[in-house]
Amino acid sequence: MKYSTFSLADNDQLKEPMFFGRPVNVARYDQQKYPIFEKLIEKQLSFFWRPEEVDVSQDRSDYRNLPEHEKHIFISNLKYQTLLDSIQGRSPNVAFLPLVSIPELETWIETWSFSETIHSRSYTHIIRNIVNDPAVVFDDIMRNQHIIERATDISKHYDDLIQYTLLYTKLGAGTHTVNGETHQVNLFELKRKLYLCMMSVNVLEAIRFYVSFACSFAFAERRLMEGNAKIIRLIARDEALHLTGTQHIINIMQEGKDDPEMAEVARSCREESIEIFRHAAQQEKEWAEYLFRDGSMIGLNKGILDQYIEYITNHRMDAVGLEPIFEKATQNPIPWINAWLVSDNVQVAPQEVEVSSYLVGQIDSEISADDLGDFEL
Amino acid sequence: MKKAIQVSTEELAFQLAPSETLLEGLERTGHQVEYQCRSGYCGSCRVTLHSGSVHYETTPLAHLNKNEILPCCCRPLEPIEVSIGLKVKAKKSA
Ligand code: FES
Ligand SMILES: [Fe+2]
Ligand SMILES: [Fe+2]
Repeated sequence: MKYSTFSLADNDQLKEPMFFGRPVNVARYDQQKYPIFEKLIEKQLSFFWRPEEVDVSQDRSDYRNLPEHEKHIFISNLKYQTLLDSIQGRSPNVAFLPLVSIPELETWIETWSFSETIHSRSYTHIIRNIVNDPAVVFDDIMRNQHIIERATDISKHYDDLIQYTLLYTKLGAGTHTVNGETHQVNLFELKRKLYLCMMSVNVLEAIRFYVSFACSFAFAERRLMEGNAKIIRLIARDEALHLTGTQHIINIMQEGKDDPEMAEVARSCREESIEIFRHAAQQEKEWAEYLFRDGSMIGLNKGILDQYIEYITNHRMDAVGLEPIFEKATQNPIPWINAWLVSDNVQVAPQEVEVSSYLVGQIDSEISADDLGDFEL
Repeated sequence: MKKAIQVSTEELAFQLAPSETLLEGLERTGHQVEYQCRSGYCGSCRVTLHSGSVHYETTPLAHLNKNEILPCCCRPLEPIEVSIGLKVKAKKSA
């Protein structure tokens, strides 16, 4: 397995596995091994939005009038979101692209990661508006112990995979000593690192982000920081698609559909996968402690956020075939969050906030055959 | 013509009106159901189908295991049985 930006093997792409086959050569979509990734790409493109189109000007005075402990909650939450998207805007590309073997998945990964860069740009848009000097907020991300702890944990699996891929592609299977360090390198272990990385990405997008969304929307529930909420709704819509993407990838791996060894890899990673979920939930609870250290806010406190963390962790574990770990957490303690998360807002318009999808002139890409029934060409 | 269809859950049975989605029906009757996109791509609403069958106008994007359905966008074709319970509050008042 040697990476090339244009593999010269005249291969049948339909026979390649998702990962660890031959590198992709022609970017063609006329034939697809997994059409789902092409559909995800189309959907993601139909969601395209630009942060600047969302008016966040009202947030400035809202923010100024927040009590200090709520300013801390709001800004810390935003810093955390900035960290998460900084990682997501690059890592899927760097870590997964060298391993991919089919064009529709390669392009999905690029499209996915690109949409994360829009999220990152939107944080600058928000922060620029509420504080005079954005550097005060951004600089602290690298200096704040509570955030850095999370960063290490989140990037760990990506970094592990990237390092191991380098060893494998450069030196191949075997025992290698590099700069005095000995590494056992083999393809099975590389597959395990990919699988665990995918799990940790799923946790990032399906749990960590949603915990942060809860905080953003708790302000909006009180009609505060509504510009921010509009942006977070657009981000949440994208994230829902991303986690569907990782769920598909994980599932294809678990079934060993295109690489039977992957099913074995998935089985061997089961306990570690559960640990990734458990650890992330624990870490999110510690984060909640930090957020609310100087006081709770109306509608949200450490206890409620902890319950939500457990509830959403169970829900997401179930989606990737793992037994839920928090027995009692069967009810959503903040059901109002769904009214904010709902993407097309067909039913409930929480208060007066404009529907974000109208705001950016989104084109409804889903026209069913019935809609066109009366059309004749 | 479409008719009302019987839906049985872990705790009750109700008639799903032709004009409502299964998700709306479950909400109306106080079930603890999740949702986000309400259009088949997020997978939040996913529940297990125990009997009966459903149909999708367009294939949803969300991942589904065997026996799982998406109440936001499926249409029951016959009486169905799904594994979902009531909200705690709804239980108390029921
Ligand atoms: S609510 Fe998103 S798939 Fe049903
Ligand atoms: Fe993101
Ligand atoms: Fe994402």
